[in-house]
Amino acid sequence: MLKVENLKKTFAKNTPNEHLALDNLSLDVKAGEFITVLGSNGAGKSTLFNAVCGTFLPDGGKIILDGKDITFECEHKRAKSIGRVFQDPMRGTAPNMTIEENLALAYSRKYKGPLSWAIKNKDRDFFRSILSEFGMGLEDRLKTKVGLLSGGQRQVVTLTMCTMVTPKLLLLDEHTAALDPATADKVMEITNDIVKRNNLTTLMITHNMAQALTTGTRTIMLDSGQIIMDVAGAERDKMTIDDVLEMYSQKKKQSFANDRMLLN
Amino acid sequence: MTLWIGSLQLGLLYGIMAIGIYISFRILNIPDLTAEGSFTFGLAVSAIFTVNGHPFLGLIMAIIAGIIAGNVTAFLQTKLFIHPVLAGILTMSGLYSINLWVMGGSSNLSLIGQDTVFKYVQNLSGLDANSVKTILAIISALICVIILILFFKTQLGMCIRAVGDNEAMVSASSINVDRTKFIGFGISNALIALSGGLIAQYQGYADINSGMGILVVGLASVIIGEVFLGKRGVAVGVCSAVLGSVVYRFIIAWATRSNFFPAYMLKLISAIIVALALAIPAIKYYKEIRKIKGGDKNA
Repeated sequence: MLKVENLKKTFAKNTPNEHLALDNLSLDVKAGEFITVLGSNGAGKSTLFNAVCGTFLPDGGKIILDGKDITFECEHKRAKSIGRVFQDPMRGTAPNMTIEENLALAYSRKYKGPLSWAIKNKDRDFFRSILSEFGMGLEDRLKTKVGLLSGGQRQVVTLTMCTMVTPKLLLLDEHTAALDPATADKVMEITNDIVKRNNLTTLMITHNMAQALTTGTRTIMLDSGQIIMDVAGAERDKMTIDDVLEMYSQKKKQSFANDRMLLN
Repeated sequence: MTLWIGSLQLGLLYGIMAIGIYISFRILNIPDLTAEGSFTFGLAVSAIFTVNGHPFLGLIMAIIAGIIAGNVTAFLQTKLFIHPVLAGILTMSGLYSINLWVMGGSSNLSLIGQDTVFKYVQNLSGLDANSVKTILAIISALICVIILILFFKTQLGMCIRAVGDNEAMVSASSINVDRTKFIGFGISNALIALSGGLIAQYQGYADINSGMGILVVGLASVIIGEVFLGKRGVAVGVCSAVLGSVVYRFIIAWATRSNFFPAYMLKLISAIIVALALAIPAIKYYKEIRKIKGGDKNA
């Protein structure tokens, strides 16, 4: 589904702060795969997501989504087939608009002309029916401004907005990191549900190693802009957190006390 | 009585301008200084067409003039990455020359004895001049209000609101932010220029300085309207802008009639009204701080 070939990106080129964020990174994501992405801060995880979404253009390489080269397509055009949820719950929704307006914005972009009514009764029923599946009571609050919702509720609304028109690719950028543990579990459960039901091709960044190994179908680890670990299937099922740390230290060939703390 | 009716007429006609300011200031979330230029642009274009015998075409051309002015500002902002407020100032400044050029190099233009839309309707209906002015002012304000309320219920209208609310989210949901801004500023300035065009034909002359301080007048109208109707969605917001504009004119009429302040103090008073209204959150903040500190002392 998604093919990334020799992707390269250097920030602040020709300055003392020069930073190689993506180093000839190649990745082949098959349709229906759910990949969890690990890596310490600055490893290039978010940079990879930004490049795929078109927040900036890469210095070299190719991005191919569903057979189409999107390397130089503008951001809002590829957003049609890519859904993205950020860590910050404030980013994905418009706070001064109601839940139904936010959902309508995401829903109608694909099917409606610019001058058709934004929200019809039929749409409202549809929104109510999807929201009711999450058991958060959001279906009764369609006219509530999103700014009044809690972080977890906002993430669920964002997730719904990203997936109600089935995207070709779903990118989750630590989308539960800003939530309390109980809410994070709930949002993760809903995420798994949505991904499974729509058979979505998904990439999820996480710092929770246990979660990375148990969620999804494949796990990759990034370091200094390169993929240093890529496991799936039986090999992945056998893996423990210690194995991952072991692998990481082998690749890095350095002592590890601090990283162990960071990654747990 | 004539003074109050005159204020109502002016309030409604300037109310169209206030809707334009409401769109840029409250919906797009940017105080757009283009207004100062586009108001006069509409006024000048409408006046020159009226002088040449086409008052209705003049109003349509005023709308187009406004769209162009708004799009120039949007272009500077989105494509050339110029700071939004500075983009408005640049357009406004440039328009001053354009407006003088439209008016044939003179700083004012008289429409006395010309066929304005008001005269035209008066001849057609046989009503007296003042009633025609009132009726036309009500109709034009009403049409603008209805069209905009309906427009903001459409997909495109909602996109414009979303751009002002959370731009990052809009670009991530496959909406072209730049194009939406072009449309938003186009509509905002079209209304402001139409208001200018109507005012020119209403008062029977066009003056190059008519647009000076118009942004503050518009902001004052929007804020006064919100005092009466509150901040409750776009439909109410559009209505409250017009209501605020009428109340603003009433305040001025009352103040000048009762010699409360001389006419030249108008701009200062408007500026103070706007500054005070925008300072309400800060005043609340300081009050809160004082309460907390005072509480500590007593404890």
